[in-house]
Amino acid sequence: METVKKHAQKKSEGRWGLLMVSPYIVHFVVFVAVTFLASLYFSFSDYDILNPPQWVGLANYEKLVHDPVFWKALWNTVYFAVLFVPAQTFLALVLAVALNQKLMGLKLIRLAHFLPVISSWTVIYYVADAIFNPRFGMANSLLMRLGLEPQKWLQDEWLVIPILVLVAVWKGVGYIMVIFLAGLQNVPQELYEAADMDGAGAVRKFFHITMPMISGTTFLVLILSTISTFQAFEQIYVMTGGSVDATAAGGPNNASLLLMVYLYREGFSFLHMGYASAIAWVLFIMLFAFTLIQVKLQKRWVYYEK
Amino acid sequence: MRKHRIVTWLAAVGLSGALLVSGCSGSRDAAGNTGEKVSLKLGYYSSGSSDAKMQELVKRFMDKHPGIEVTTESAPYGKFFQKLDTQIAAGSAPDVWLSDGVYVAKFAERGAAKDLTDWVSKDLNTDDYYGLEFNKDANGRYWGVPQGVQIAVLFYNKEMFDKAGQPYPNENWTWDDLKQAAEVLTLDSSGRNARDPAFDGKAVNQFGLAFFSITEGWMSVFKSYGGGVLDETMQKSVIQSPENKRALEWIVDGMKRNLFTDPSDLKSFKSPVAPFPSRQAAMRIGIYARVLAANEAGLNYDVTLLPKGPDGKRFAPIIANSWVINSKTSDAKAQAAWEWIKYWVTDDEVQKEWARLGEAVPVKKSVANSPLFLETGTPPQNKQAFLDSFAFAGRLDDNAVWEEWLSKFNDSINRAFLGEMPVEEALAKADRDVQQVLDAFYQK
Repeated sequence: METVKKHAQKKSEGRWGLLMVSPYIVHFVVFVAVTFLASLYFSFSDYDILNPPQWVGLANYEKLVHDPVFWKALWNTVYFAVLFVPAQTFLALVLAVALNQKLMGLKLIRLAHFLPVISSWTVIYYVADAIFNPRFGMANSLLMRLGLEPQKWLQDEWLVIPILVLVAVWKGVGYIMVIFLAGLQNVPQELYEAADMDGAGAVRKFFHITMPMISGTTFLVLILSTISTFQAFEQIYVMTGGSVDATAAGGPNNASLLLMVYLYREGFSFLHMGYASAIAWVLFIMLFAFTLIQVKLQKRWVYYEK
Repeated sequence: MRKHRIVTWLAAVGLSGALLVSGCSGSRDAAGNTGEKVSLKLGYYSSGSSDAKMQELVKRFMDKHPGIEVTTESAPYGKFFQKLDTQIAAGSAPDVWLSDGVYVAKFAERGAAKDLTDWVSKDLNTDDYYGLEFNKDANGRYWGVPQGVQIAVLFYNKEMFDKAGQPYPNENWTWDDLKQAAEVLTLDSSGRNARDPAFDGKAVNQFGLAFFSITEGWMSVFKSYGGGVLDETMQKSVIQSPENKRALEWIVDGMKRNLFTDPSDLKSFKSPVAPFPSRQAAMRIGIYARVLAANEAGLNYDVTLLPKGPDGKRFAPIIANSWVINSKTSDAKAQAAWEWIKYWVTDDEVQKEWARLGEAVPVKKSVANSPLFLETGTPPQNKQAFLDSFAFAGRLDDNAVWEEWLSKFNDSINRAFLGEMPVEEALAKADRDVQQVLDAFYQK
């Protein structure tokens, strides 16, 4: 009798559990699984949104291989990542270490670094424009005061990505800093005390205690930053004029065309949804492979406390 | 216990159902016809003031047509069209919608718009309306009926002309006359004009001409020089022509000398259409809607016809923003949608009410040629120029892939504008890229 009761209770618990996760399951099925499979199907079809998709086999993927704009967008994305990920990670770590000390007005300083994180890209764009506007910006007036040539900044093919990265780091560093701070505060104080007794200096302590102890955090940060680069869209769209003309985002001369922006242009502006889906899948596979490699490599340098 | 279980399951089903419904919201048509009434879904893009006016006109329509129940769906321009494409895909698009003039061909050629030719020839006297003839395709079929017309003229800031001691532009001007005036009207930060040897082109405070993209930029120059982008079939590029080369050279020269805004200059303004209303350009090529910003800024300005090309040819770009009927809608609804369109273009009251908003040239010629449009008491004084420009108006070579070929064209042409690519090379590259886009769609 007792076991029957227990069994019934377990069953009922299971149902309650199902009920509690049902919003997630529905969300997953409708917005993830179905769209995931649909986009896979679209990537093998000619689909202009307005008419039903027509199966074309591998044509979209073949086109992709021969599309110079796709390669340019891929290169731009990698270039962006190579500049952005190390710069943001390094700067966030330095800030976190600095702000992990007992300083006057610590909370205020931390807040100041976190503010850009919660601002929208439109606001960030206005701030960046005040600096980099070729006609009215502070950067050029400073250059001219120093007797140097004014620059076109975001309208310059060579400067556009470095400036976008600079702004992206400024906006994102506060968030990564908070993750690092959490990591730093989890490092046991005894380790430092023991090192102090052994006469270790600050630099030594940092490289031999702090770095290994937060390597898990660093790994997380690297993965997050890389993924965010491959997904970067809003910043490029807003800062390179997408709100005026969607097809112009990624300029000048496609110099800041990242893969997501290209995908959007092809899918929503030019109605090549099949081709855009193929880009999405290539992007997904690359990101997946890249993450797998990072997971493999982590064994060499990430330390987890048992 | 049992009750408890039932409640649990009901809650689970209810919650999942609610999520499913909210996930797919808006996809159901309000087809639940009440009695004999036909329900009509009307979609349009709008701003605050035009939305209120549209609601008022819809209400009046329903009073006149008690058998039709109109529901409206509106959004700001960009969002409206993005949503519309997905709605068409889902089969939940409005029965009748307002299309930007340059998208009518896209909806028509991709099968989303209904052929209106029979209705137009039966119910409308085409001579009574502006813009209607610009909705015809190469085979003479109508796919939309204009809701309001945008047509480009030359705007000029009278104060700046007075200050420079220059006579105002007139209807006999050629593009070269414009450039000569621009030399005197382009000023650097020290107030020197472009003819002054000490003129600093890097610090221009006032441009001679604000020049922006296709409608308010290169299209009227290209066409009045005898060139263009596509042939009359709209499937073949005619970009590589001596006429286009001359036109492009004329533009590039103006930009090189900083008389006209180049694509890079435009990016430094809050918006590419800002230089004229913000008093940083003496002239602009502008559509009718630009009157609003100029008046809001309190400019002392007027308009005249766009200049002539070297052989006396003129061209004014026109965009007839139009009502389009959904090709998938039922016959009864399509008929109701046509009633709405007829009401819009034939009813004098509607035309007058819409004209009062001042956003577009009225479609009905009798209203456009009345004091209500021509003598509003606000600038520009010479509104007749908009109407006179219909005599030499033309479309923007729009077709099913307009947005795409335009983007490819701009890629090359903007580089020529910035002096990064020679004129001939830019035209050759644009020709190749545009033809590739055309072939990918039309030669499928």
